[in-house]
Amino acid sequence: MAERGGRGGRSRSGDSNLDKSITLPPDEIFRNLENAKRFAIDIGGSLTKLAYYSTVQHKVARVRSFDQSGKDMEHESPYEISVQEEITARLHFIKFENTYIETCLDFIKAHLVNTETKVIKSTGGGAYKFKELIEKKLGLKVDKEDVMTCLIKGCNFVLKNIPHEVFVYQKDSDTEFRFQTNHPNIFPYLLVNIGSGVSIVKVETEDKFEWIGGSSIGGGTFWGLGTLLTKTKKFDELLQLASKGQHTNVDMLVKDVYGGACLTLGLSGNLIASSFGKSATADKEFSKEDMAKSLLHMISNDIGQLACLYAKLHNLDKIYFGGFFIRGHPVTMRTISYSINFFSKGEVQALFLRHEGYLGAIGAFLKGAEQDNPNQYSWGENYAGSSGLMSTSPDLCPMQRARSGTFDMFEMDRLERPLVNLPLLKDPSTYIPDTVDLTDDAMARKYWLTCFEEALDGVAKRAAASQPDSVDAAERAEKFQQKYWDKLQSLRQQPFAYGTLTVRSLLDTREHCLNEFNFPDPYSKVKQKENGIALKCFQSVIETLDSLGWEERQFALVKGLLAGNVFDWGAKAVSDVLESEPQFGFEEAKEKLQERPWLEDSYNEWIERLKGPPHKCALIFADNSGIDIILGVFPFVRELLSRGTEVILACNSGPALNDVTYSESLIVAERIASMDQIIQSALREERLLLVQTGSSSPCLDLSRLDKGLATLVRERKTDLVIIEGMGRAINTNYYAALKCETLKLAVIIFKCQ
Amino acid sequence: MEPLQNGGEKAGGGGGSERKKQPPPRRPSSGNGGAESSGPAAPRERGGSSSGSVTRQRLDSLRKSRPLFPWFGLDIGGTLVKLVYFEQKDITAEEEEEEVENLKSIRKYLTSNVAYGSTGIRDVHLELKDLTLCGRKGNLHFIRFPTHDMPAFIQMGSEKHFSSLHTSLCATGGGAYKFEQDFRTVSDLQLCKLDELDCLIKGVLYIDSVGFNGHSECYYFVHPTDPERCLKLPFNLENPYPLLLVNIGSGVSILAVYSKDNYKRVTGTSLGGGTFYGLCCLLTGCSTFEEALEMASRGDSTKVDKLVRDIYGGDYERFGLPGWAVASSFGNMMSKEKQESVSKEDLARATLITITNNIGSIARMCALNENINRVVFVGNFLRINTISMRLLAYALDYWSKGQLKALFLEHEGYFGAVGALLELLNLA
Repeated sequence: MAERGGRGGRSRSGDSNLDKSITLPPDEIFRNLENAKRFAIDIGGSLTKLAYYSTVQHKVARVRSFDQSGKDMEHESPYEISVQEEITARLHFIKFENTYIETCLDFIKAHLVNTETKVIKSTGGGAYKFKELIEKKLGLKVDKEDVMTCLIKGCNFVLKNIPHEVFVYQKDSDTEFRFQTNHPNIFPYLLVNIGSGVSIVKVETEDKFEWIGGSSIGGGTFWGLGTLLTKTKKFDELLQLASKGQHTNVDMLVKDVYGGACLTLGLSGNLIASSFGKSATADKEFSKEDMAKSLLHMISNDIGQLACLYAKLHNLDKIYFGGFFIRGHPVTMRTISYSINFFSKGEVQALFLRHEGYLGAIGAFLKGAEQDNPNQYSWGENYAGSSGLMSTSPDLCPMQRARSGTFDMFEMDRLERPLVNLPLLKDPSTYIPDTVDLTDDAMARKYWLTCFEEALDGVAKRAAASQPDSVDAAERAEKFQQKYWDKLQSLRQQPFAYGTLTVRSLLDTREHCLNEFNFPDPYSKVKQKENGIALKCFQSVIETLDSLGWEERQFALVKGLLAGNVFDWGAKAVSDVLESEPQFGFEEAKEKLQERPWLEDSYNEWIERLKGPPHKCALIFADNSGIDIILGVFPFVRELLSRGTEVILACNSGPALNDVTYSESLIVAERIASMDQIIQSALREERLLLVQTGSSSPCLDLSRLDKGLATLVRERKTDLVIIEGMGRAINTNYYAALKCETLKLAVIIFKCQ
Repeated sequence: MEPLQNGGEKAGGGGGSERKKQPPPRRPSSGNGGAESSGPAAPRERGGSSSGSVTRQRLDSLRKSRPLFPWFGLDIGGTLVKLVYFEQKDITAEEEEEEVENLKSIRKYLTSNVAYGSTGIRDVHLELKDLTLCGRKGNLHFIRFPTHDMPAFIQMGSEKHFSSLHTSLCATGGGAYKFEQDFRTVSDLQLCKLDELDCLIKGVLYIDSVGFNGHSECYYFVHPTDPERCLKLPFNLENPYPLLLVNIGSGVSILAVYSKDNYKRVTGTSLGGGTFYGLCCLLTGCSTFEEALEMASRGDSTKVDKLVRDIYGGDYERFGLPGWAVASSFGNMMSKEKQESVSKEDLARATLITITNNIGSIARMCALNENINRVVFVGNFLRINTISMRLLAYALDYWSKGQLKALFLEHEGYFGAVGALLELLNLA
């Protein structure tokens, strides 16, 4: 049940045939081995999955307020920036063919500095075969864990932590992979693992699962019977044969039994009445392809039927499929999907997992890491260090098969804080942050990929420029540029690689790649400068506002928010202008704002609402540093506070573009408080609260927010949410439905050629 | 990686035999349990009632409305044609006088032979003696021949001028539709086509009610896997409902039967008798079903299959799986060495075990979902196939922890044909 299938031409089964010819590039594959610990290994019939935990030293830009006691006003900048080392935790998973296992073990031994580790958790049907080799090579004691327990632990982990982990496979639609949003409650579900045989497991909670059934007709049957029938020995080759065959030559169809009457009877004549029913004759030859196809249908249909029967009996509607029969094979995902649809009469969809191949290794790793309690943290996929779905599929990705091409990687970073849903989401199970699905929309995908390609040069230059004192900044910037360029190219080929492709995922991938090459905050200096300039203008802006009548002031405040939001270095059109016209100021931005009515204009409703009773508490998601936060958002906050509304101002935990970070917002608020009585008392009385979002993205995913923020939102009975900026209110959350009043503000920026 | 498939193939791409034996849509209600019970059930009742309870008055009316001889019921399946023939034994001298010559010759031909041509066979051991049907006494004969010989059969009908008898020919099974045109053009016969699931259920209930020449039609096994202690015992199916009826022909249909005219088709599978025989032909080069079964009886499937104990060294306790259970059918056959060590008999046995276990598994799940604990297996796959019957009996009992009972019927594959004959008697 745990046996693994071969992966085509390259796979050589058995330990007698190990391939030691390859040289492993250390930066690319077993990354961060120097401080790796807690190893786990899952060895299947032909693929090995290795897992370990490492700590990653990141440079982070820290901001610190100058000493308040003396002459801080003399500084040009409002705070100082220091680059510090921060240590974060990362999980590494590497998948490679068993033939490379010895080379890999040697490599690990050579690079493993930390020797604290004494045991390696192991799982998988092939683990016993390599036990001695592992113990000898690594000097670690192999500690075996139950296959199914690991599988389910791993499955729970990815379902909870990885957005877009689950997908539906639709061969005949434009979008082959349709990813699902993570449901807040993953239980209960059915896991159908198709290895040599089939195991059907019902999972009810984190620790409670039950084998409810199975079948002996599984991947081993396809392989074994297929080998007998076609003399083709390899699993992948059998699938290749099957994809070329015509099962109607071998199977007895309904129309073979009923003849032409099917049409008038309304029967589906093409359904299979009897698998291999036509081969019941001694005097006819059948082609290998046709027999393989017939066998594939027979087995897929049978598994689908049983899965549906078990799902019905246990009243479950989520069925995940895994095991080597499924793994990365569009052919079998397709036949299983067909079967589930057929037998459930369209009521149940077959679900697949992006990281299905890693479940056992993840589970085994978690078993060994219980004392670190990985389940208490939130984890995020590191796009920079993960290969993406089907990266090693020879059919989909011929260009990546060089040297390390058969190594597939998956990395998860531990997030500093647990992430949860915003409690104000109307329906968390259907919330989709992203406005445009670029996997779906080929035109939009081309447009955005091109945008990111064109902007890349500038981003790399800025990154290098942000670290003038570093000798290798230019080299690192070039590496970053290459890495992100490669990601963009592979996303052109496989837009489904990391789940649904969106503007957000493209931005996040870029941030991950920047971090990878130690550019934690390329905009830190720009932000520092802009914050300084804007702070100087704060008082005069407030004076002007205070001189206005109520209605005029409200309009000026909204206009100020919008104008401030023009200062977005993420928009290529703006960054070009800002580079060439650094003095482009707030007033000029206001001038350039379009006259009302705006593209989406609910200004009148907003004013009417303001004439009513004040809101209890407003949650504001801020966007850019500088003019945006200081001259746009703060005056607006000040007005809300004056109305008696409490304000929670949420800023990113980590840097992204020129977005204001939480630590920057603290300093900015402190400086404003020193100039403004209203802000000062509000901060003191905790009517104005600064919190972090838990995110480091220029976009906003309301289903993954800092737990502290969520708690506060609930405690303060928040009844107004304000989302600002293109990234947060247009590229994401444009369609987000909340339980309370919501104000979305953004400026769409185009460059007029 | 995969060529785009054409529309036709796509539709057939999966899906088992789900609708294979689904009643034609002209009577959509038969798909839904209960829908028919409110319908006109009365006319259907007659065929199923035994003569003993018929009143004199009714007998008179029957006599008038009795169909003309000969009385046939035909079930044309994907692999086999099943024919039941009622041989009237109470012919009066007057009737004999009147009887046309070719009617006589048909009776003679059918009743004096046990084999017809090279492939037709009369299952003499199944013959029901001294049966009263529509007030007439006689014997019921059970005949089968391969569906690929249908053209010859139709030709014979033409040569024997069957159409001159002005009788109706009631037929069920897919072939009733497939060969309808040939019957009409070659032998000038108009088939009366009948729904196969209706016929199947009517046939089962009728044969069970009349019994098997004084014995029980229905039976079960105790200690099915113990060659020393295994016993075949009669089972009284007097109160049959609800029951799960599993018909294993070329493919498999599973029906939940709640009363004689309230049933639904639960599901079906394309892994049936045709799959066993078809795969055996490919794997062993055998040329008859009997040969395939005979080979299977001498083989050892545990060399071909991967058992739980082959993986875990014994029972897999975490999941409560016994070591002897099959983990992967044919799971040893990707290994060259193991492939070389197995015989054709082993392969035949493994095929039989695989198909049988799978049917048992699906039947068990259906029984659980429908909340039915009696499962009746019928169909020609079970003919001379004690290995499968005992395995089904054992598997159902073991995996349900004694909750489910597997039942079998002596006339295995003939119930559809019997049902068709009963419909003929209703028609008049």
